[in-house]
Amino acid sequence: MISIRVSRSTDGYVANMTRLLKTAVTTLVALLVLAMGWAPAAGADVDQCAPPGVQSASALPTNLAAAATGPGADKYTTEAVPALDSVNRDALGLGTPGVLVVGTLSDAPPSICIDSAGQFTGFDNELLRAIADKLGLRVNFVGTEFSGLLAQVASRRFDVGSSSITTTDARRKTVGFTNGYDFGYFSLVVPTGSPITGFEKLAAGQRIGVVQGTVQEAYVVDTLHLDPVKFPDYNTVYASLKTRQIDAWVAPSQQAQGTVQPGDPAQIVENTFSLDNFVAYAVAKENKPLIDALNSGLDAVIADGTWSRLYSDWVPRALPPGWKPGSKAVPAPQLPDFAAIAAAKAPNDGAGSAPKSTLAQLKDAFGDWDLYKQAIPDLFKTGLPNTLILTFCASIIGLILGMLLAVASISQAWWLRWPARVYTDVFRGLPEVVVILIIGLGFGPVVGGLTNNNPYPLGIAALGLMAAAYVGEIFRSGIQSVEAGQLEASRALGFSYPESMRLVVIPQGIRRVLPALVNQFISLLKASSLVYFLGLIASQRELFQVGRDLNAQTGNLSPLVAAGLFYLLLTIPLTHLVNFIDDRLRRGRQITEPDDPLDPEHPARTQEMV
Amino acid sequence: MSTPSAEPARLLAADPVSLAAKDVHLSFGSNAVLRGVDLEVPAGSTAAIIGPSGSGKSTLLRTLNRLHEPDRGDVLLDGRSVLKDDPNALRQRIGMVFQHFNLFPHRTVLDNVTLAPRKLKRLGGDEARELGLVQLDRVGLRHKADVRPATLSGGQQQRVAIARALAMAPQLMFFDEATSALDPELVKGILALIAELKADGLTLVVVTHEMGFAQSTADAVAFMDHGQVVESGPPQKLFEAAETERLQRFLSQVL
Repeated sequence: MISIRVSRSTDGYVANMTRLLKTAVTTLVALLVLAMGWAPAAGADVDQCAPPGVQSASALPTNLAAAATGPGADKYTTEAVPALDSVNRDALGLGTPGVLVVGTLSDAPPSICIDSAGQFTGFDNELLRAIADKLGLRVNFVGTEFSGLLAQVASRRFDVGSSSITTTDARRKTVGFTNGYDFGYFSLVVPTGSPITGFEKLAAGQRIGVVQGTVQEAYVVDTLHLDPVKFPDYNTVYASLKTRQIDAWVAPSQQAQGTVQPGDPAQIVENTFSLDNFVAYAVAKENKPLIDALNSGLDAVIADGTWSRLYSDWVPRALPPGWKPGSKAVPAPQLPDFAAIAAAKAPNDGAGSAPKSTLAQLKDAFGDWDLYKQAIPDLFKTGLPNTLILTFCASIIGLILGMLLAVASISQAWWLRWPARVYTDVFRGLPEVVVILIIGLGFGPVVGGLTNNNPYPLGIAALGLMAAAYVGEIFRSGIQSVEAGQLEASRALGFSYPESMRLVVIPQGIRRVLPALVNQFISLLKASSLVYFLGLIASQRELFQVGRDLNAQTGNLSPLVAAGLFYLLLTIPLTHLVNFIDDRLRRGRQITEPDDPLDPEHPARTQEMV
Repeated sequence: MSTPSAEPARLLAADPVSLAAKDVHLSFGSNAVLRGVDLEVPAGSTAAIIGPSGSGKSTLLRTLNRLHEPDRGDVLLDGRSVLKDDPNALRQRIGMVFQHFNLFPHRTVLDNVTLAPRKLKRLGGDEARELGLVQLDRVGLRHKADVRPATLSGGQQQRVAIARALAMAPQLMFFDEATSALDPELVKGILALIAELKADGLTLVVVTHEMGFAQSTADAVAFMDHGQVVESGPPQKLFEAAETERLQRFLSQVL
């Protein structure tokens, strides 16, 4: 007896939507299937995270800047180290006895990077593995952001920070350091043909790129007295240089040499070097036993030739005069004659390949089909589940807490209303990254025992707490949009205030704000990528990070585009769901039926259809 | 009291009670809305409350069932003060019908009627459904049990609202301008339904602008102005021999 007539425009809309969805899904599924089938065939020829080998050695830079600081008063390198067998493995202050939890990065090959198998490696990490071996410790690598690395080492979230960290007095205020295991040149990278030919040509008004929080930033600011453009990571700054959005990049030499490829529209024009700021592992300042133990291990791997082998394999360059790794007591390591090797291959290098056109650059950077094939299986198996878990769990927290906040914020009682108000203001007012870092790094140590120092639950909590502030406001507006007569009618029937809210008002309020809620989930889905700031192990990486790691490993942006496609796969259906709900709420289901003989007139429109 | 014998007794209104208001005062901030209202409604009788907009009629109903708590005065059912009772329990005894129906749009017509009996009287699903259908029958809308209220006409919605109030077997019913939002041709049907309830023996308090209805159906009429009952008595006396100048002026405007 009830006939449902969907209006023609709705019909067209639904058809359009269906067609669009179908196309999007078909495309993505086809892409996935192709990728899954071909992935194993994809070569790792683009892997920047493999040891380049001794034949890639470089001599002392001939274009070493004259301004280089000479050997400063090295007051930090220890005279000697405790004997290796005197190390008490149980007194190293480790979070988990016998395991070194190491915070590292993935984007600075060949020093620190993640290889095509998803393992953290690079010179720094391989050396640390060797040192840990000497000490009889297992190593557990966790990826993080440099901006949070030292803080996380200081708070003992990580036992060790391994990220080609140059020791500076400023950093020594936060953390302690081992003896040096590497040293740092700075390279000046500029676009091919740039008028900037050396550090002395850098001047105010130029856009000079650095990675924030690095020694290069300090160098540009304190030594050159210039104002740099700060980037979050090496890939972004190099991509900006290649597209000429910046004029120069002051880079750590290892990064510059690993990143600048023949044929790139960029070149290293000069190097400078900082002897007094060697590269070392960061350890919590007060954890002296671990620093001592790592120093013992470092001297041991230098003495038995392991350091030399790894150094030659990963970062073969002539040592600067007056510097050697380890304590002052350990003999200088034996290294091949890098200058000779470099000289022997110099002619080949000089030829170089022809510079590529801008279009070819773009195509290379975004359209590398092999990389899509390589990225998609990882995105599908690791990234997608993690993104979904993060978003889903945070949504549940957001919905429950948001509902409590909404009810509290419309309560008569000030002691419920005020805390809800303050909470909402704070969590809505803070950038998402700040909340994630505060929850992750601030509360991490407090609940470390509960979460076993796993930041994943903290990330979920941070996302959920943030979502709750927005969801709470959405619920509140929905609840307040329900006519006062609804509450009155319910109470007049004999329902208490809480019963009336639960049975009558809230269900209606939620229906009205469903579109806004779905939008909130879309935001949350995208914000889930920020969890990486807390440091995740390889299997915990969500979509963005999987794409980013592969991007870091190859210097190519295609994996990020692939990750983007996955986000679209998730968000486009949701956006259309919003539109559909919105449309339905606005117009209501178009239901007509024969009029009641008692009341022969059109249906009343006094109440909104929900 | 002509109770249709076909319906089970428990589904009908419980024994009607008398209602009395004694010197009821209520202010919203500095705005005195009720300023000493006295009202007597004997059990089983129908009282109509008339008066200009803003005179406090609707507020009086909401104060009598304690949606608003009076600042002063007393409310008595069957001679006993109810101001110390649990207000939720009190409201279960008093059915209320609103100008704008206030049906729950997210529930079906039947659910609207059975929600309170199920949740407040713990009626089982079948029992509640049976009760709901009987009440819908009573207002002639059994065939609309499974649709959403928004698909109904205003008159039908108000019938559902009446069935919803009746489902709690109230001892007393309030109608707050129940026909004011309806198209003119639908008013008669609702007024006839109210008259039927009176015939069934319920105690009714009807705030209305329908002077014809007040005259024909009410046992007593109270004229309110400025938060007070200015004049009350049998309809013939009020409508034909108004004593106060205010009532005379009001009647001259509405009749």
